[in-house]
Amino acid sequence: MNLPQGELIRRRVLEDAGTVLRTAFERELTGFARLESQDTLLLDADGVGVLTFEDGIPVAAYHTGTDAAGTEAVTDIGSTGPYRLELYELDGEITEQIHGDERLRVPPALPAQQLSGETELVDQIRERAPETWQETASDTSLDAVEQFLDDEQKVEAIRDHARTEAQSRADEWNFPTDQT
Amino acid sequence: MRVFKYYTRTNVNYMVEVFAVASGKGGTGKTTSTLALGMALATEYDVTVIDTDTGMANMLFHTGLSDTETTLHEVLGGQAAVDEAIYERFGMDVIPCGTSLAGFREADPTRLREVVATVAGGTDVILLDSAATLGTRSAVLPIVLADRIVIVLQPTVPSISDGLKVQEYAKTYGTDVAGVLFNRVTEDENIDTVATKAQRYFDGQTLAKVPESEKVRAARRASKPLLAHAAESAAAAAYREAAGELTVRDADSTAVADRFRNAVIPDES
Repeated sequence: MNLPQGELIRRRVLEDAGTVLRTAFERELTGFARLESQDTLLLDADGVGVLTFEDGIPVAAYHTGTDAAGTEAVTDIGSTGPYRLELYELDGEITEQIHGDERLRVPPALPAQQLSGETELVDQIRERAPETWQETASDTSLDAVEQFLDDEQKVEAIRDHARTEAQSRADEWNFPTDQT
Repeated sequence: MRVFKYYTRTNVNYMVEVFAVASGKGGTGKTTSTLALGMALATEYDVTVIDTDTGMANMLFHTGLSDTETTLHEVLGGQAAVDEAIYERFGMDVIPCGTSLAGFREADPTRLREVVATVAGGTDVILLDSAATLGTRSAVLPIVLADRIVIVLQPTVPSISDGLKVQEYAKTYGTDVAGVLFNRVTEDENIDTVATKAQRYFDGQTLAKVPESEKVRAARRASKPLLAHAAESAAAAAYREAAGELTVRDADSTAVADRFRNAVIPDES
């Protein structure tokens, strides 16, 4: 997915990708969010998740670290927080070109379901999204969760990393562990 | 204030088990779950719930204790004894935590082990409502102190991902996993498949799948735990089912108290 720079409207570090979706929705943003994982040990160190929006509704997703597109990219974004977020505004004509690529498209409510779990936001997005968009991809909300759970390598990477982190913090915080 | 049971139950070995209710992420309904499990377990056991989320306390709002002056903050700050912060509510002993920044600043989180040790002498089950982060020492402490954790998950990738992290932290610190509880499950979610797939990675069992419910929000507005406000709701029934799956392990309360008092955690943070 090649995107021009666009106009930066927000830059901050956040724990929860759901905040991005809420902000884009409330601003009715046409543009994209760049979510750079702060956890460089997981996935690709240069991995950046990109979510595009039209009038605040999520349309497409891509992950540069895993080369995943669409629903799968949402999964990769979801498993690698906290993030450094940058939110950009783009001309609608540019996003239209990207949104023509079916491979990248996601069901409008899926990122909110997967990244925020906020049922209110999910409902609001569904309500506002054009009906034709809802039909462009199967709206099975748990696809991304199931895909994530089927990816044993990814799950193991998260567990291994957490174990290493917990052990190193035990040393830092003087907590007893099974190993000490 | 009331007569503290610790002083009346010292000569017999009572069972006591400490659970931390945890999730790496906020918004999963940890406090609702802690109180619901507590109330359900209270039909069989003597239960004490403690709000150990000292930075983002909210149990007092769920239990009608928002005007309470003495809370865990004061105990951790050395200004009050444990029994002064215990309130009998909804069939449980509740130790809420305050919300003031000053209270948080003055609280010494390492005193928590002394609080748990003291309470352990007079109760069967202790539930610690944990912080929604693994980023600080005081947030992780309840997971270190507990015998087992109950992991509260929403069926989303970030929540499950964070739940996996919590589990690995717990295991690293020698704390077992009692099971996972899927919360805020909506009708359009194929939760059974997700739970089965998740089970491969989590220790313990799937305790319950609690449906998303307006009743939960209504209970919070009414400053009551879900099981007190909407006992007949499907969500309440799911929590009772979860509590039924939790077999409380017998342990000598004196030994447990000693374990907490002697926990190898220095007082300086």
